[in-house]
Amino acid sequence: MKIILALACAVALASPALAAGHGPVFGYATPVNSQGEFSFDTGLIGRHGSQGTALTESSQIGYGITPHITFTAVLPVTFGSAALPETRMAGGGEWASSVAWRFQHSVTSVGRRVESTASLGIVVPGPQEDSGVLAGLHRAPGVAATLASGLASRSQYLWFGSGYTRFAEAHSDRRPDTISWSAIYGYRPPRLRRDVNHWDYRGFAELTGEHTGNVRSNGVLLPHSATTSLWLGPSILAILKDVAIEGGIQAPLYRDASDSMYGHESIRFAINFSYLKYSSHAY
Amino acid sequence: MKKVLVLALFVLLSSGAHAEYSQVNMTVFGMDCAPCAHAIHVSMMGIKGVDTVKVDLNTGLVNISLSPGNSAGLHQFEEAVEKNGFTHKDATVVVRGTLSGSADAPVLEVTGTSDHYALAPSGQPAADIAALMGKSVIVNGLLPQAAKGKLPNTLRYKTITEAQ
Repeated sequence: MKIILALACAVALASPALAAGHGPVFGYATPVNSQGEFSFDTGLIGRHGSQGTALTESSQIGYGITPHITFTAVLPVTFGSAALPETRMAGGGEWASSVAWRFQHSVTSVGRRVESTASLGIVVPGPQEDSGVLAGLHRAPGVAATLASGLASRSQYLWFGSGYTRFAEAHSDRRPDTISWSAIYGYRPPRLRRDVNHWDYRGFAELTGEHTGNVRSNGVLLPHSATTSLWLGPSILAILKDVAIEGGIQAPLYRDASDSMYGHESIRFAINFSYLKYSSHAY
Repeated sequence: MKKVLVLALFVLLSSGAHAEYSQVNMTVFGMDCAPCAHAIHVSMMGIKGVDTVKVDLNTGLVNISLSPGNSAGLHQFEEAVEKNGFTHKDATVVVRGTLSGSADAPVLEVTGTSDHYALAPSGQPAADIAALMGKSVIVNGLLPQAAKGKLPNTLRYKTITEAQ
C-alpha cells in the first residue's frame, strides 16, 4: 500500500534535470520545457568497475506545464551486476518523478539567458534488485531535490548544480543519502552557430561529484560504506529541430570508496536520444 | 430582413478582410539554440493566418508573414514567445486598419482584432493624417516593447498610406 501511495505521489508530482535534450548528459542544468512541450528521452548510462559493469536504460518523459514549470517522470531498467556505490547522477534502478521550477529567469540579450531551476521529486524503488552491498536491503521511497543555476548563450554555457536525495527507512534498512554536485562548461564554436535548419552542436566539459552516506542494514551503519567521488569528462550534444543525440564519458578525478566493498569504478559513459514535441497551440 | 442581415454580414466580413497584420518582425531575446528557434517556429505557425516564419538565432529576429484576411492579434505572437520562455522586444509591423480619433491624436483600429494603437510619427510626419481619417490605411512602423501581458500603446509609423 505504501508503494502504491508513493507511486501515486510520484505520478502526481514530478526529477532532476538530467539530459532532456537541452543540457549536459551527466550534470545539472537549468533548461525546462516550453509550455505544452512534451520531451521524450531514452538513454543508456554505464558504469564500469573492477567488479563488473552496470547499465541503466533510462526512459524519461517531460511536460511543460507553464513556460517555467516542467513535470518529469523517469522509468529506468537496469542490467549488469556490478557492486557499485549508490548514485543519483549515473543511472540506477529507481523510478523518479519530479517538478522542476525555473524560478529565476533573466533574459539579458539576444541568445543569452541567466536562470536558476529547482526541482523536487519522489524516488521510488524499481522492481529490480540492486547489487553488492545494496542488494538485499529493504527499500523505501525517498525524496530528491536539485538546484541548478547558470548561463546559456549562443557561444557559451556555464551551469552549477547540486542535488540531495534521502531515502526513508524500511525494516531498519536504509539506502544512503546522496549529495551530488556538478559544474558544466559548454561551448559552441562560431562556425557552428547556424540556423534552425542545420544540426546544432555544442560540447561540454562535465565535472560531477557525489558523496553517499553510510548504508544502514538491520539498524547498523555499515562501516566504510560511505563514498565520495569526483568525475570529469567531455560530452557532445547535437540537435536538429526536434531531435537530439547526446553522448559523454567520464573518468574519476578523485575517489574515496572501499575497494573491497565496491571494487574500483573506473569509467562512466552515457548516450541519450531525445524527441521534443513542441506545442503549436495558439491562444 | 434577410437582405439587412446579409448586408450586415457582408460589411462585417469585408471590414475584417481589409484589416490585418501582413508582416510582423519581432526581436526575441533568450534563444540560444536551434530547438529554441524551432519551438518559436512551431508556435507561430500554430497561429491561424500565419503563412511563413523565419527565425534568425544570431540576431534574434523572428519574421512572420501573414495571409490576407487573417484575424491574428499581436498578443498571440507575444504569447507564442512567452510560452517558450523567451522575451519579446520591439516589433516592426506592416498592418492594415482604419484611422479613427482626430488628426492630432490619430488611432489605428486594427479591425478584425481588438488591437488599436495611438499613431505617432517615428520621424518627421510626412503623411496627411487629416486626409486619411476614417479611411482604410496601411501602416509600416515600430511597436515598442510593452510590459508582459500588455500590448504597446503607440505605433511609431514610418509610412502610412491609403489602402487600395
